[in-house]
Amino acid sequence: MNAEIRDIAIFTTLAALAATAVMLVPGVAVAWVLARRQFPGKSLVETVVSLPLVMPPVATGLLLLWLFSRRGPAGALLARAGIEIVFTPAAVVIAMAVMGLPLLVRTARAGFEQVTRRYEQIAETLGAGPWRVFSTVTLPLAARNILAGAMLGFSRALGEFGATIVVAGSIPGRTRTLAVGIYSFTETGQDRQAAMLLVISVSIAFVAVLASNRLARDA
Amino acid sequence: MAAFELDFTLQQGEFTLDFIVHVEARALALFGPSGSGKTSALEAIAGLRAPRRGRIVVNGHVLYESDRHINTPVRHRRTGYVPQDILLFPHLNVRENVTYGRREGNRPDLHVLVDLLELSALMDRRVASLSGGERQRVAMARALYSGPDVLLLDEPLAAVDLPRRRRIVDALLGIRDELSVPLIYVTHLPEEALTVADWAVLIDNGRIAASGPPRDVMPAD
Amino acid sequence: MVRVRRWILLAAAFTAVSLGARAQVRARSSGPVVVSAAVSLTEVLQQLAPIYQKRTGDRVVLNVGSSNTLARQIAFGAGADLFISADEAQMNAVAAQIDPGSRVDLLSNQLAIAVPDDRPRTMASARDLLDPAIRRIAIGDPAAVPAGVYAKQYLQSLGIWPDLEKKVIPSASVRLALAAVESGAADAAIVYHTDVATAGHAREALIIPASDGPRIVYPAAIVRAGKNPDGGRRLLAFLRTAEATAVFIRAGFLPPIAARN
Repeated sequence: MNAEIRDIAIFTTLAALAATAVMLVPGVAVAWVLARRQFPGKSLVETVVSLPLVMPPVATGLLLLWLFSRRGPAGALLARAGIEIVFTPAAVVIAMAVMGLPLLVRTARAGFEQVTRRYEQIAETLGAGPWRVFSTVTLPLAARNILAGAMLGFSRALGEFGATIVVAGSIPGRTRTLAVGIYSFTETGQDRQAAMLLVISVSIAFVAVLASNRLARDA
Repeated sequence: MAAFELDFTLQQGEFTLDFIVHVEARALALFGPSGSGKTSALEAIAGLRAPRRGRIVVNGHVLYESDRHINTPVRHRRTGYVPQDILLFPHLNVRENVTYGRREGNRPDLHVLVDLLELSALMDRRVASLSGGERQRVAMARALYSGPDVLLLDEPLAAVDLPRRRRIVDALLGIRDELSVPLIYVTHLPEEALTVADWAVLIDNGRIAASGPPRDVMPAD
Repeated sequence: MVRVRRWILLAAAFTAVSLGARAQVRARSSGPVVVSAAVSLTEVLQQLAPIYQKRTGDRVVLNVGSSNTLARQIAFGAGADLFISADEAQMNAVAAQIDPGSRVDLLSNQLAIAVPDDRPRTMASARDLLDPAIRRIAIGDPAAVPAGVYAKQYLQSLGIWPDLEKKVIPSASVRLALAAVESGAADAAIVYHTDVATAGHAREALIIPASDGPRIVYPAAIVRAGKNPDGGRRLLAFLRTAEATAVFIRAGFLPPIAARN
C-alpha cells in the first residue's frame, strides 16, 4: 500500500470521526426535543432533519455547495472572516455530518422515548432540576442508543460520496476520501489504485458491522 | 406531626374524586378499593398530577392553589415519593440511588437512615440484584435522604412477601417516630392502615366515605 | 434563470454519468441514434439535433459526459452509436470497440481561462495564474479528463505547472470546473473557449490561441456495439457538412487541425 492510499484511508477515518463529533451534540439535542416536547412546527423540524436521508446525496451536496459558496448565505458570512469551506477538508466533514445526522437523531430519539418519564419524575421529586435530570437520568439511560446512533452516523460518514464530491471535490491530499477516491481513480482509468481503496473500504465496513453487531448483542 | 389541608378535585375522563381531608397527623392512611383514585390523590400531592381545582397545603406550605394559580413545580415541593413500582435508577447502585437527592436542610443523617432501614450490607450492590423488600427499603431511604416535609408511599407492602412485611412496617414506624417524618400512604390492606397510621381516610365512589382514627374507619374484619 | 440552468446542467451531467452505462436503446430500423459526446459539445449538439431530426426523421439521443467517463462506458459495452471524444487518448482507449475505418477528426477547440463574474479581470498570459490572489484553479482532472490533460500540457509547456499544481482543483469534468468558478469556489478555471459562452456567472479572462496552446482534437467514430450504426454514420456525415460546420464555428469551435510534425 503506497503513501497516497494510506493517507486517503487515514484522512477519511479522521474526517468521519470529526463529523461524528460535530453531529453529536446538536443531534442529541434535537433528538431530545423531538422526543420530549410538543411545539408548533414540530413536524416541519422532523421533515427537515430527515431530508438528507431521503434526498439523493448529490442533491444535498448541491444545497451545501450553494449554502457555502462565496455568494451563498453561510459562505458570504464566512468569507468576511476569511474562511472558505468549499473544496476544503472542512467541507468533507460538513458533508459527512449532514448525511449522518438524520441517522443519529432517529436512533437517539428512539432511545429517549424508551426512557420512561417516570424515572425523570422520581428524580424531580428528589429535588433535581431539569439539567440534572437530563444529565444524570435521561442521558445515561439512553446512552446505549445514542452510542448506536453515533456509530451509524460514523459508518454513514465513512462511506459518504455524493454530497462530498459535490461540495468538497476530489482533491488529492486534501479532500479525497475513500469513496470519492474510488470514483476518481475509476473514472481516470487508474484501476489499481481504485482496487486498493476498494479493499480498504470493504475491510473497514467489515470491522464496523462486526463491532456494531457485538454492541447490539451485548445490549 | 404535620398539618394537612387537602381539598382538591381530581378528574380523568368519567372519573371524579373529591378529596377533602383537613387533619393534623403523623401518619395518614388512604384506604379504598382499587380504582378509587388513591394513587392519583397521592400523585396530586407529589405534583405529578394536576387536580382540576383545589388546594394542597402541608405544614403551611401551599403546594397547590387553583384560585391563586399556584402550582409548585415537583422539584420544589419537598415531598418524598415512593411509587408502587419503586423505580430505583437502574444505572446507579444502592448508595448512588440513596444519595441522589440534594435538597438543603432537614436531611437525616445517612448512617441513621442506613441503620434504620438495614441497608448497610447493600450499599454497594447493583439495583438489579435486590429482592422486593430490599428495593422497597432502598426507595424509602432515597426519598428520605432528600429531606422531605412529608413521605408519600404507594402500597409500601405490596412488593414484599408476607414474612418480610414486618420489616417494612418496622421501618415505617421508625420513620414516623425516630425520624419524625410525616407519612401519607396508600393501602388496600386494613391491617397496614391499623398498624402505622394515626388517621385513616376511606375513599369510595368518588369521595371521602369516612375519615378518622383507623379503628373507627376500617371496615369490620 | 441562467443560473438555475447551470445547476440543472450540473445535475444532468451527474445523471448522465450514472445513466450512460445503461443507455441500451431498443433496435429500430431508422430509430434513435445514441451519441456519446464530450460535455463541451452539449449546447451545440442540442442545436443541431432538431435540424437533423427534421431532415431525416431520426431522433438523436444525447449522452454527454466527460470523455474519459464515456470511454469507460463504451469499454464496458455501452451501446452508443456514435462517440465524439474531446481528445485522441480517450478515443484510442476504445480502439477495440469502434470501427477504425469510420474514425475522423471532427473539430478543434481553444483553451480559455475563466474567472467569476464578480471578480472579472483580463489576463495577459497564463502566467497571471501565478498571482497569489488566484488561490484555486479548477481544471478537469489532469489524470484523464481531456480538458484537464490539455490544461496541464499547456502549463507544462510554459514551465509553470510545478508552481501551479498545488493550487489546482481537479474536477470530474470541464463543466464542473466551470461551475466551480461560477460559484466562486475557484478563482479561475481552465476550460474550453466554447464553454465560457454557456456560463451565466463566469467571464473569459484569456483565450489561448490555437497556435500557442496544445493541439486539441475531437475525434469521432462509430461504436460497434451500437444498435443503429447506419444511423450513426448518417449523423456523422451530417455533422461534417458545411451547414453543421457553420453552427460549430458560430459556437466557437475550430475546424479540425492537422497533426503537426
